[in-house]
Amino acid sequence: MRGSRWLVLVLGLWLWAISLAQPTPNTPPPDFSPRVFEIARELRCPVCQGESAAESNAGIAVEMRRIIAEQLAQGRSEAEIRQFFVERYGDWILYEPPARGLTLWVWLSPLLGLGLLGYGLWRYLARTRARAQTAMAEVSEEEIARLEAELSRKP
Amino acid sequence: MLLLGGLFYWGMQRPNPNELKSVLVGKPAPSFSLPLLEPYRARYGPEMGVKEGLGKPVLLNIWASWCIPCRTEAPLLERFHRQYQDQVLILGVNVQDRESEALKFVRQYGLTFPSVYDGRGRIGIEYGYYGVPETFVIDRNGTVLARHAGELSEAQLQGYLRQVLQ
Repeated sequence: MRGSRWLVLVLGLWLWAISLAQPTPNTPPPDFSPRVFEIARELRCPVCQGESAAESNAGIAVEMRRIIAEQLAQGRSEAEIRQFFVERYGDWILYEPPARGLTLWVWLSPLLGLGLLGYGLWRYLARTRARAQTAMAEVSEEEIARLEAELSRKP
Repeated sequence: MLLLGGLFYWGMQRPNPNELKSVLVGKPAPSFSLPLLEPYRARYGPEMGVKEGLGKPVLLNIWASWCIPCRTEAPLLERFHRQYQDQVLILGVNVQDRESEALKFVRQYGLTFPSVYDGRGRIGIEYGYYGVPETFVIDRNGTVLARHAGELSEAQLQGYLRQVLQ
């Protein structure tokens, strides 16, 4: 019993040590500051499918990171750097395009969908409730009397 | 359902992705000057680029030696260069490449239209390029008329040429 507890402890320590030895994923390579990657993460890599400029190792993404690092060193703000790429590539380069024009409709469509769904549900519930009530009102007096008589006869 | 159908139809009607509209269309082409690859220095000088006073429309072709479609495009561009060099400047920009590889490519296809060397592809980013090959059509006044992403066919090249020589 004692031995197995020790075994578990040693195994646990060993696993913990291994987890420490693993590099955490997506940490920037040492050549650029983490800030460069924070900005690059919001930018699309133009040649890759579904990768940001932070993750890709394509030449163009590497060059984009270099441009970001240079502009940061020149004291430009994050917004200015993003603008630099938008001026050359359009809003397409941003992973979160600004909410205006056609994009505004894309942003609003989930809300619109939810609203429509809610309205439909409300209409449906209102209709079923109304039907239940009319069904209740349609029961005639003598039928109710007959039912009550039936119920009182039972015991 | 109708909405979905409409969306699908709209998606199908969208222009060819190869003719991705550039933000630059209708705007002045970013000017630059870069060192020419060695074989062109004797004729064109040490540097070349898009700048004022060229007096000619420019077909700016971004290429790399490792790019497969560039290999079929290069002979076509060369042919057009020989035919129209007095009227239009076909200027290559070699990006994301090693200079020695670029020189090998130029020699292999016997390219006589000038190419500048932009190892890191910075000018490409300045123009908002997606990849190689990519061609920017610039008119006589230095305004970008079109961008063509991907390989050019002869008919497309002819079309751009007509557009630019009007």
